[in-house]
Amino acid sequence: MTDVPFDAGAATDPRDPRVVRDPQVVRDPDEEDDGLDTEELSEDIARLSNERGVDRAYAKDLFRRFVSSRDPILREELVGIHLPLVEYLARRFRNRGEPLEDLIQVGTIGLLKAIDRFDLQREVEFSTYATPTIVGELKRHFRDKGWAVRVPRRLQELNLSLNKVVAELSQEIGRSPTISEIAARVRLSEEEVLEGLDTSNAYAVISLDAPAGGEDAPTVSEHIGSEDESLEALEYRAALGPLIAELPDRERRILYLRFFRGMTQSQIAARLGISQMHVSRLLNRTLGVLRAGLLAEDESN
Amino acid sequence: MGTSTLHLEIPASGVYLSVVRAAATGLAAQLQFTYEEIDDLRIAVDEACTQLLARRGSAETLRIDYHMEPAELRVDVSVEAPDRGDPLERDTFAWQILTAVTDEVTERSDAGGLHLSFRKHGGRT
Repeated sequence: MTDVPFDAGAATDPRDPRVVRDPQVVRDPDEEDDGLDTEELSEDIARLSNERGVDRAYAKDLFRRFVSSRDPILREELVGIHLPLVEYLARRFRNRGEPLEDLIQVGTIGLLKAIDRFDLQREVEFSTYATPTIVGELKRHFRDKGWAVRVPRRLQELNLSLNKVVAELSQEIGRSPTISEIAARVRLSEEEVLEGLDTSNAYAVISLDAPAGGEDAPTVSEHIGSEDESLEALEYRAALGPLIAELPDRERRILYLRFFRGMTQSQIAARLGISQMHVSRLLNRTLGVLRAGLLAEDESN
Repeated sequence: MGTSTLHLEIPASGVYLSVVRAAATGLAAQLQFTYEEIDDLRIAVDEACTQLLARRGSAETLRIDYHMEPAELRVDVSVEAPDRGDPLERDTFAWQILTAVTDEVTERSDAGGLHLSFRKHGGRT
């Protein structure tokens, strides 16, 4: 639902009931506002294509031939002449920590979709038509990668280096470090460290919790019996029963070890062979899921 | 150093929990809490606020009082809800969470509404 075709033809016809006066309306409703105004972009792009000398008549002719023949060679040529558009749009996303080449590749998928769907009957420039599709593809790419919230590059990097430092310091001093100890190590103010740590819970780090299944099964097998018993008892009592039941094994186990066994995050980390920060993330995310479920239930009553 | 207290009043909506967490984090950092203690604290803050938000009824605000003591942070969360029952039943998962990540949890209801409080020790010793 990311690539809603941008029907600019409808927007120009005052008799058309679909008339779109406010460019906001065209946006995907579940998209966060990230400052990319499609209309403004289109103006930039129109200027850009003039400057770069994209021959509109030539492009139009190519489209006409492509629409009737669906010839892959023509399609490739269409991609070629519109690549500057993809590059331009991809560059708008380059501060989000992904290599530009990858972004261009993702954007090209959007371009292909737009080429395949473009309708010459619509009196609209192809670039105007294709922009929302390409931008949609790029946004989806970030959403799928878990960067649902736009996190500035500086904070992403800070967060990654903090992860490392917290792990190192914990090793060195044999306990979790304080904020001032972390700040001293990374030569930043405590304020900046806090900002960086806040980032870690602002988005879900999906790529970090890699493997599903198996890896930690043996170490906890001795507890599985009592664990299930306890969680089941809880499920009967608590409204969150079904939510807990749906959690992945590892998340359920961490929940149990932390809240029913009273193990600290560090102890759980040692037992599962992952870092304490990783336990922290999984725990926070799981609780987030449970709370969201609880509040949703509350509101539906 | 004696007790310093900070009051925070937020609209009764989950949207503002990040502010409540951030305040707790900042105060805990001043008390030299460790990263892990802070993480526990944030979980507790989230949990206590979420529970009272779920019981808010028509109340429009949630109040949070932070009491800083040497090596300890005490947090009281309250909401002026008409509902006078227990703020939180002992056999719930939420209670389990709160007691696991803090050192003491107390709850009461009075004319002022529902209160949920906890203490968290921390800091380098």
